[in-house]
Amino acid sequence: MGRKIGFLSLGLAALWLAAPVETAAMDDESCVSCHADAGMVGDAYVIDPLRYDTTAHAGLGCVACHESVTWDHPDDGQPLSRAGCLDCHQDIYEEYAQSGHAQYADCGDCHNPHLVRGPTTISGHDMNRNCAVCHETSGLVRSHGSWLPQAALHLEMLPCISCHSGSENIVISLYLTRRPLHPDSGAPARGLPFELAGYEDLKLLSEQEKISSLIDTDGDGFISLAELRSFNRNRDNRNLRLKGMLTPEIVTHDFGILANRWDCTFCHASGPGAMQTSFVAFPRQDGSFERLAVEKGAVLDVLYGTPDFYIVGATRSATLNYIGLAILAAGLIMPVGHGTLRFLTRKNRR
Amino acid sequence: MTTHSSKRVYLQPTPVRIWHWLNALGIVTLGLSGAQIRFPEYINLFGSYKAAIELHNTAGILVALSFTFWFFYYTCIARKMTQLYVPSSDDLRHGLLRQSVYYFFNYFRGKPSPHHPTPDNKFNPLQKSAYLAIMFVLMPLVSLSGILLMNIAPLREIVLLIGGLKILVGIHFLLSCAMFAFLFTHLYLATLGKTPLAYFKPMWNGWEEIDEHESETTLESGHHG
Repeated sequence: MGRKIGFLSLGLAALWLAAPVETAAMDDESCVSCHADAGMVGDAYVIDPLRYDTTAHAGLGCVACHESVTWDHPDDGQPLSRAGCLDCHQDIYEEYAQSGHAQYADCGDCHNPHLVRGPTTISGHDMNRNCAVCHETSGLVRSHGSWLPQAALHLEMLPCISCHSGSENIVISLYLTRRPLHPDSGAPARGLPFELAGYEDLKLLSEQEKISSLIDTDGDGFISLAELRSFNRNRDNRNLRLKGMLTPEIVTHDFGILANRWDCTFCHASGPGAMQTSFVAFPRQDGSFERLAVEKGAVLDVLYGTPDFYIVGATRSATLNYIGLAILAAGLIMPVGHGTLRFLTRKNRR
Repeated sequence: MTTHSSKRVYLQPTPVRIWHWLNALGIVTLGLSGAQIRFPEYINLFGSYKAAIELHNTAGILVALSFTFWFFYYTCIARKMTQLYVPSSDDLRHGLLRQSVYYFFNYFRGKPSPHHPTPDNKFNPLQKSAYLAIMFVLMPLVSLSGILLMNIAPLREIVLLIGGLKILVGIHFLLSCAMFAFLFTHLYLATLGKTPLAYFKPMWNGWEEIDEHESETTLESGHHG
């Protein structure tokens, strides 16, 4: 009897030791070997390893959130455990819970935990895509249009969270857009609006070099005004345009209507340091964006720095101001010069 | 025969005066609101930035409509557009020089102007040339660039065709400066009458008083333009 108890104790101990070893050995590669295949796991459970691997969550590993997984998954029939967002993001949730949005959407309604990235590695368009799930663009244009001049333009150039959250460090992000290709000829279709250029499109155009080499020709990871001008003046790039958006680098989840955003000078006034800070964001293969810093003040260039990006009252060119002043001064030549002689010769006209 | 009695000439018909003052009000409003829009941290004349934008847009539409009205009036109703605004060959060969000599030399010597305005020939050759450039080049370009800037999203293709937003803004700004440069000269020249307000009066009530000796052969009092 005693020997039996002894063997049983040993067996249990072995099992106890073996179990964590079994789980710990389950790395992300094992999970992805099945979950990268939609045919095997179905669309609802498929993970794109290329896109997932560079997210912040990938660093934690699958098991960190799905800790109940065993080697028998899915044959064990046990539902997989999922970590709650609050387990790690309590502070964000508390902030979000105070907003009016909390009653309509949970974290997962906006953020896919297998794709979620930080604000500096996604585009302004990606930011708005989350909002567009519930907020239809035409409705937004209508509601904003009741008070905001050129509402459609504003909504196109701004992520919603730049105005509807306390997000900070708002910078100018420039994205490459291109003419869509004609379905028959495959040539850029003139007349169709420019759209955000994808990784594959730009890879083709950069002739298999790094995509950033389209603008950053010296490959130093920094975009000078000269490089921007050269890109914008190059006729070969006539079907590419840089589109600017004002994107936040630090996001908050206190969604609402901020009182100071009713004042247009929040953006439309020269001086805010952020308005001089700009980046060109190039798409990566994994769906994220790589930002390259642009020379300070490049958006103020009179013509070719950023030909399509202009914030009235904020990014005016000093050179144009001086030319304008010279023109106005020329208009004073007659009143001042002629007026002086007129005064001096007034006796002749009595 | 030279007398110093004066004669009243109906020089500016009512539609022209309405257009002129609407235009003047609109252009001054555009200049002031435009200055606030471009330099908001230095200039705040209208309370808020949004007020300046809305006023600028409204005044811009008013001036564009007023321009259309002017064009329609002179082309279709008065039928004097070419006669009044396009310099004749004589204007080009002699008139421009003659008028320039007057403004920059003879005026200071107390000599009379070589041009005698009539309802059918209101402007001297220099005026004609300046107004031709202002009304047929500057005004349409400022108005069109303004209309594009008011509708960037729907008219983006045209904006791109021009070369982009920066070029469009540059054109609008510099042409506006040119418009105001002209306005300074225009206002100054308007004070060169017999009295400083002599040329302002006809644009207000339509009638200009002209010395008989200046108009002995050309004027026909009471003629409507």
